[in-house]
Amino acid sequence: MDFLAEGFRRALALLFSGDAEVYGIALLTLKIGIVATVLACGLGLPLGFVLATRPFWGRRAALTVVNTALAFPTVVLGLLLYGLLSRRGPLGAVGWLYTWQAIALGDVLLALPIAAALAAAAVQGVDPRIRRTAETLGAGRWRSAWTVAREARFALAAVITTAFGHVVAEIGSAMTVGGNIRGQTRTLTTAVALYTSQGDFGLALALGLILLLLALLVNVALQTLQGRGHA
Amino acid sequence: MLELVGVRHEYDGRVVLDLERFAVAPGAAVAVVGPNGSGKSTLLRLLALLERPTVGRVLLDGTVVTPGGAARRRVTLVEQRPILFRATVRENLEFGLQVRGIRRTEVNRRIENVAARLSLTPLLGRRRHELSDGEVQRVAVARALAVEPDVLLLDEPASSADRAAALMLYRTLAEERARRPLAVCLASHQLEDAYRWADDVRALADGRLSPVTPENLFRVELMTAESGDLKRACVGTVEIAAMTDKIGPAILAVPPTDIFVSREPLASSARNTFPGRVTALARRRARDGAVHVTADVGVELVAVVSEEALRDLGLAPGSRVVFSFKASAVRVF
Repeated sequence: MDFLAEGFRRALALLFSGDAEVYGIALLTLKIGIVATVLACGLGLPLGFVLATRPFWGRRAALTVVNTALAFPTVVLGLLLYGLLSRRGPLGAVGWLYTWQAIALGDVLLALPIAAALAAAAVQGVDPRIRRTAETLGAGRWRSAWTVAREARFALAAVITTAFGHVVAEIGSAMTVGGNIRGQTRTLTTAVALYTSQGDFGLALALGLILLLLALLVNVALQTLQGRGHA
Repeated sequence: MLELVGVRHEYDGRVVLDLERFAVAPGAAVAVVGPNGSGKSTLLRLLALLERPTVGRVLLDGTVVTPGGAARRRVTLVEQRPILFRATVRENLEFGLQVRGIRRTEVNRRIENVAARLSLTPLLGRRRHELSDGEVQRVAVARALAVEPDVLLLDEPASSADRAAALMLYRTLAEERARRPLAVCLASHQLEDAYRWADDVRALADGRLSPVTPENLFRVELMTAESGDLKRACVGTVEIAAMTDKIGPAILAVPPTDIFVSREPLASSARNTFPGRVTALARRRARDGAVHVTADVGVELVAVVSEEALRDLGLAPGSRVVFSFKASAVRVF
């Protein structure tokens, strides 16, 4: 128990002392998290909407692919991405290996199927009469789609939160393609893993608490944005 | 003129609507009556251009129209169980007007007007979870009227309304039709409302228009009787004889004007003679002098008699009565 208590004491001391390394890691994680979530949701939410509402050939197969991708191991994703981004890989010329952009790319690929699959489920949960009502009142395709999305806004906000949660908590791909380079690609999760393995439990715990705090802040921000949950 | 021509519509290979022609003329008040599952809602969805018929065409003023086209802004449907958007009543009423890019001052004018006519003014700031089913239905009708369509389609518009609310709805529709050339087509299973309100009552059964008036329509299983084309079908607790070459599942209709009404059984060749008691008398159209006599004869049947005959027979609710009709008068389709 002393070990745990000591860990917490050190964690709190680091948090309130304004340690530059700790806050640098936190800010990088936040940056990657926001960029990856915006890109993944920017692509995934419309994709989910199409999967949920538009009948097209291969729709069922596309849904299966998206749902399967939900369970894609992040380490394997990191490995594949490493192959693509390494000097001899097809995207080697981009020079992204061991950069924060590589970590963000991995996070986008991780969060995209999450955003698409959950958005599809959220849109499918909207009463079909909403779309019919919008159409019969004269709304075109885009306005009808927007109306359906507005009805699902609470569920879609939860999709964004979930995607962000996955992105900031991801470690397998970040470690493989980011390299956990101090001051450059060290994120909260890779740092927690490193400091735990080095026996610096207090520092690892401090970073873990920041990770939780980030998730909490994003949730609060989204709930504030979506307003009160009126029907 | 909004028309369906040569329309057949299927769900999962099952034909739910089969109509050679169904037209709603400008300014008309059409009621479509029929039991649940007869195809009324499907008919309205096709007319509302929400679905494309499996076979056939939808025409608006003689031009073929399809879902997604501009014609949809001229036709509006209020569904049987309407739904409001997750917003205030005012925002719901604004929706169709905003879609049309109507100016703010005109939007406000129309909303105030339609809300006042349907007694919704005190509800404008409420959200959908703060409304009763009847209020939701009124808001949905107001929302449809606000966009001033050429054709208004209503699916069981009074199903969630009490009597007073239903009367207000019908009065509002009548006022709207007096104000401008609005065609209304409503689906209902309430014959009373249909006759009181519509100029033209059409019956739908198993997706097809009935060749007779909508009373006394039954879905039956026809069985062979003793000879030739004479068939029998169980309806309620009685067995109705019909002349037809059909057998098996069918729709059976007894035209109310072909039923003889008497206090005692008549000596006649009518194969169908059923004693019972009068359950209701209704003068549906004051101008034609006809009275609809509804009686429970083991099944509820409606006959039409003149005011004079009603007086001579001395019929009143609860009176004993005998309904008789020939097997050849029964329509089978």
